[in-house]
Amino acid sequence: MRRIQKKVCLLGDFAVGKTSLVQRFVYNRFSDKYLSTIGVKVSRKTVVVPEGDEVVEVTMMLWDLAGSQDFEGVRANYLRGAAGALLVCDMTRPETLASLERYLHDLQEVSAHAVTLLVANKSDLTNQLRFSAAQVEQMAAAHDTQAYLASAKTGANVEEVFRRLGQVLLEHTQ
Amino acid sequence: MQELRELLFSRYRQKVTELEAELDDLRSSVNDEDRLTAMVTPIIGDAIRRKIRDAREEMIDALYPVIGQTVMRAVSEAIRDLARTVDAQMRTTMKPQMIWRRVQAMVTGVSDAELALRDALPFQIAEIFLIHRESGLLLWYVSREPDVSLDSDVISGMLTAIRDFAEDAFGRDDGADLEAIQYGERQILIEAAQHAYLAVVADGIEPSGFRAEMRDRVIEIDHAYERVLRDYAGDPTPLAPVEASLRSLITSTKPRQLSVVQRRVLMGLAALMLLCLATLCLAGRWGWQALHATPVPTAVPPTATLTATPTVTPSPTATVTATPLPTQTPAPTVAPATPAAVEGVMVGNVWAYEAPAVGAPRLEQVLDRGRPVEILAVYDDWCLVRWIALGTEEYRGWVSRRWVGMLDPIPEYLITPTPAP
Repeated sequence: MRRIQKKVCLLGDFAVGKTSLVQRFVYNRFSDKYLSTIGVKVSRKTVVVPEGDEVVEVTMMLWDLAGSQDFEGVRANYLRGAAGALLVCDMTRPETLASLERYLHDLQEVSAHAVTLLVANKSDLTNQLRFSAAQVEQMAAAHDTQAYLASAKTGANVEEVFRRLGQVLLEHTQ
Repeated sequence: MQELRELLFSRYRQKVTELEAELDDLRSSVNDEDRLTAMVTPIIGDAIRRKIRDAREEMIDALYPVIGQTVMRAVSEAIRDLARTVDAQMRTTMKPQMIWRRVQAMVTGVSDAELALRDALPFQIAEIFLIHRESGLLLWYVSREPDVSLDSDVISGMLTAIRDFAEDAFGRDDGADLEAIQYGERQILIEAAQHAYLAVVADGIEPSGFRAEMRDRVIEIDHAYERVLRDYAGDPTPLAPVEASLRSLITSTKPRQLSVVQRRVLMGLAALMLLCLATLCLAGRWGWQALHATPVPTAVPPTATLTATPTVTPSPTATVTATPLPTQTPAPTVAPATPAAVEGVMVGNVWAYEAPAVGAPRLEQVLDRGRPVEILAVYDDWCLVRWIALGTEEYRGWVSRRWVGMLDPIPEYLITPTPAP
């Protein structure tokens, strides 16, 4: 089985649920304290993606970047060499969706060919949602990417997001 | 009455019940070792901390008999180990490495012993990570242990993050790189090339030249796989051949071979030393000869009282055709059968004579000091010598023996009982 590795960054405002996505669904080796000390924590997610008659093991090295402003200076360094990114927003805070423009811009400045997926997290909080799935779709379409409504809490769509990202990364490798 | 009693004592009865419950709880806590430990530990911990803070000396005195012995034993053991290692190093005194160390010691001004001690310090590589510089993806990994670490890819990512952080925090302008991370006895040594960097996890202090070796190795890999690394697609398979190179780095931390340059320098030094030694020997030889010959540079021949007419007779191994009087044309024809010519050198400026006597006619030839001569025969204190003068012309004549310097004793067959007729 062919194996490839890719660097993937998780981008989004503070408390949108990036770390929660990583905590529950990927292999964690390091404590979250690194997020508040050096502004990043690396973990791993492996998905198996079909490719023709065969399958390819895509290992995504996930760089969970701190959403706080303290690490904005260093973020450009962390984005270098990224093959993909998950742009995460919180469906209960509309400003987090707007911020994604800035993160996308930062990413494209250092890794112009990186592929992206937009993840609208906390979709389980149905009573508190402040923007609709249609708005998320609209934002994704504007940036030529795909959007997923997910919930790190319930696990809804999380595996699908990673699987889809693995697939997109593999397609871009060929 | 009953009601009154109830009114008066109900409060107290309830209190008693509560106290009994508390007492039961306390009793069960005391009997339950785990609960008791959990209750007491924080208090004891605080008390010890406070005591150490307030009465440090007293605590040291109290703990020394226990901890002091353990520490001393550990330190002694460590020193013994070090001594054994140094001893093993010193036993190899004549190895080229040792000579090189001495040269290093002379050049750097550090004592030979300090360098030996430095080399004796333990150094062992545990793991090597070859990491893609830009993405932090693990390109290749080797470990001293046979089991491959499952976390090597995550660790390489975090290492890259730490490097990036350090670069952003301290070295953004001057292009400096993080070169090492130290924690206790273990350290991570980092050497970077254009597209990849090497992180070596090691125990102890790296020997001199190890960093240069690391740098060479990573640059070599970087050049060899430039195409793969420039736009790294995440597939490390083409990099498989680097395994041997990285593994050799682990084994090379054993006593190192000298580099080509070091070997050349050593050979040059050895040649120079030999040359100096040879020059010294020659100078010593001439000096010794000059001292023992009491040189009086004069053309006046030494006085001699010998009156007998020398006769050169052949020795058992040499054929000497004697003539009554030695003339310029060789009177005693010395024809050694097998022995090589006996060489000497003049240690004074003297006249040559036709016969071995001061009163004998001179040959009008002065043998100057330093001239090499061949000794043909010896009679009493006189030597019949042959020399070349004026380029190719050959002469023979008798000179006083004390003006002829020789390294070896005069062979028996040259000594004649009588001068040649």
